[in-house]
Amino acid sequence: MPDLLPIASNLAWPLALAAAWIAGELAHRWTGLPRISVYGIVGFVLANIQPGVLPYSDSVVLLANIAFGLILFELGYRINLRWLRNNPWLGASSVTEAFATFAAVFYVAQAFAMTLIPSLLLASLAMATSPAAVLRVVNEQRSSGQVTERILHLSAFNCVLAVFTFKAVLGLWVFQSTGDILHALWNSLVVLLVSASLGGLFGIGLPALLPRLGAGRDATVAFALAIVLLVALTHALKFSPVPAALAFGLIARHRRVALSQTERNFGALGNLLTVLLFVFMASTLEWQMVAGGAVLALVLFVVRFLVKTSSVIAFAHLSGISWKKGLLTGMALTPLSAFAILMLEQTRHLGIGLIDQLTALAAITLLLEVIGPVITQWALALARETHDADRS
Amino acid sequence: MPLETFKTSASLTFGVELELQLVNLSDLDLTAASQDLLHLLRRRDFPGNVTPEVTESMIEINTGVHTNHAGLLAQLQLIRDTLVRAGDKLNVGICGGGTHPFQHWAERKIFPKPRFQEVSALYGYLTKQFTVFGQHIHIGCSSGDEALFLLHALNRYVPHFIALSASSPYFQGVDTLFNSARLNSVFAFPLSGRAPFTLSWDDFAHSYFSKMEDTGMVKSMKDFYWDIRPKPEYGTIELRVCDTPLTVETAAALSAYLQTLCSYLLDRTEPAPAEDDYLVYNYNRFQACRFGLDGNIVHPKSHQAFSLREDILSTLRKLDSYADRLGSSAGLDTIYAIIREGNDASYLRMRHAESGSTEDMVEAAIHRFRDTPPPSC
Repeated sequence: MPDLLPIASNLAWPLALAAAWIAGELAHRWTGLPRISVYGIVGFVLANIQPGVLPYSDSVVLLANIAFGLILFELGYRINLRWLRNNPWLGASSVTEAFATFAAVFYVAQAFAMTLIPSLLLASLAMATSPAAVLRVVNEQRSSGQVTERILHLSAFNCVLAVFTFKAVLGLWVFQSTGDILHALWNSLVVLLVSASLGGLFGIGLPALLPRLGAGRDATVAFALAIVLLVALTHALKFSPVPAALAFGLIARHRRVALSQTERNFGALGNLLTVLLFVFMASTLEWQMVAGGAVLALVLFVVRFLVKTSSVIAFAHLSGISWKKGLLTGMALTPLSAFAILMLEQTRHLGIGLIDQLTALAAITLLLEVIGPVITQWALALARETHDADRS
Repeated sequence: MPLETFKTSASLTFGVELELQLVNLSDLDLTAASQDLLHLLRRRDFPGNVTPEVTESMIEINTGVHTNHAGLLAQLQLIRDTLVRAGDKLNVGICGGGTHPFQHWAERKIFPKPRFQEVSALYGYLTKQFTVFGQHIHIGCSSGDEALFLLHALNRYVPHFIALSASSPYFQGVDTLFNSARLNSVFAFPLSGRAPFTLSWDDFAHSYFSKMEDTGMVKSMKDFYWDIRPKPEYGTIELRVCDTPLTVETAAALSAYLQTLCSYLLDRTEPAPAEDDYLVYNYNRFQACRFGLDGNIVHPKSHQAFSLREDILSTLRKLDSYADRLGSSAGLDTIYAIIREGNDASYLRMRHAESGSTEDMVEAAIHRFRDTPPPSC
């Protein structure tokens, strides 16, 4: 009789993905909930029914990073840097909402007697809006309009700002604990710059290479492969895939590589990896930690929501939209999860074990993984930017 | 409700409406941006008028009433600059062109306004398919009879305007081989085509319109999608066959050409229009849509065939003295330049031949709308 245990463990991830996908489709049909919210719930529940059901594996982490890389590439591809020059108030609103969030979250964490470095790390992570959640909801709803355009841009900008701040804090931490300024700088700014340049190189190199391969215009496979390679490379070299993939998309767009709409979100491949990404993220959260950090998480959720919303509203009129759309844009910036979890994953090699220290982060991540996309979807619908708005 | 009386306006005054495309600058597809754009534009005085159109990825602008080409052009340029600035602020591209080269009609959203929703319910996919962009030119008429005379006298010149303005070679991602594919979308509507032949406003209002109204098919002139239709509430006739050109300079030139041509026709030196003129109408119209300036048309009176390009040139030569009087010579120079250098459809095809991408055509259209001067004269 074969040993059932290894078989069961080999099947765990595929079965979890299938379960999450089915649950996502059913819940989306019955309740209209964003599919990614449901994937998160399934991942969290399965991982917590019995610890070890979803075994941690490097290949799953890599796949999740690739999924995130595909999404960041698509986001980068949709960013128009010239918009910042044409509408400086958009930039002002971005910087304000990101750093006001940092300050507010840091203040709250300190008030809850959290130590300095974890408070700073928590605050820097809270700056970001999860590009994965925003982009999936935008694509699922096929929305278009100012709220849609702005959350995509603001999310890309605040992610970049968050990565910089996060790495700077890490550098500070490395310096404090080792006294080695070079090591500190290496782990912060150098890593970021090298990662972004790597992405930029891909953005220049691939479009130059493609015509020689005769690949023509259907370059989806080439781009997907390039992203897999880029993410694996940054992963192996302990660089940061976030700026790398964003820069790749950004450069590809500004060099006017034409990818059609279905190709840009990588179709079935993109959908499949999204299931994995969201199940994986929620599966890293443990029930005990979530329960332990729940109170602080709720406070942080409210504070972050208020700060982001009011910062965007403050610049709404100046940047050319109505107060209402400003409010809705701010609300739609709520999602957080994918970004925070993957950033923390990258710090494992530094031996900080941040997730264990930041119970509040586990709690707020779970909360926002489920609620964040719902709020984004709701805001887009209220702004009448979703595709079904004219039929409602 | 009987047709309202024809409001008198000063003969040969004119004004323009342009339907424009709103484009996403990331993928260059159409984008539902009209509500946001209108919100922003409403904050300041607009040098003209701007209104929503049936789907949310188009807007319509119109000028005031003008007497000469220079005034019309100046206002159109002011409107264009205002629009471009607003578009920059919202990351929305604005351009001309009769069709968007690769948009898919199923993706379009109907603007939330009762009339648009009703039209959409009645015509189904035709409404979304009707995401095409035209230029309408109004010419003031001193009476209903004058309006009907001009309307029918112009019938033989309709192909000129189609060929000169044509800017819709691509539709739904493919080369249609037409210069103006847009007009094919207009033909799909049951009340499109030509106006019935009568030269008396009384006759038109009391026998034709009241009968049509009695059938229940129409409520107002708005329900007719004719190539040229009278607009009694403005006291104008409205030429509707032009694609929106890629530049406002071309739009002003086409208007000047029409104004000057009407002034010539009102001298009544040409044989009077007749029902039989329309025997060749649809064929000529097709030639202009399909082949643009290279089309061959049949003269409605002599039944001789000749090239559209030649016919426009010989018409322009007759208009010289009228142009001097109306101040439209600069506009007619732009028409000469189009004949020399090709219309917007051929420009767009050339862009596609260079880059192989429909996205590039849209990008070229955006640039041409915002900062290119008219073709050199």
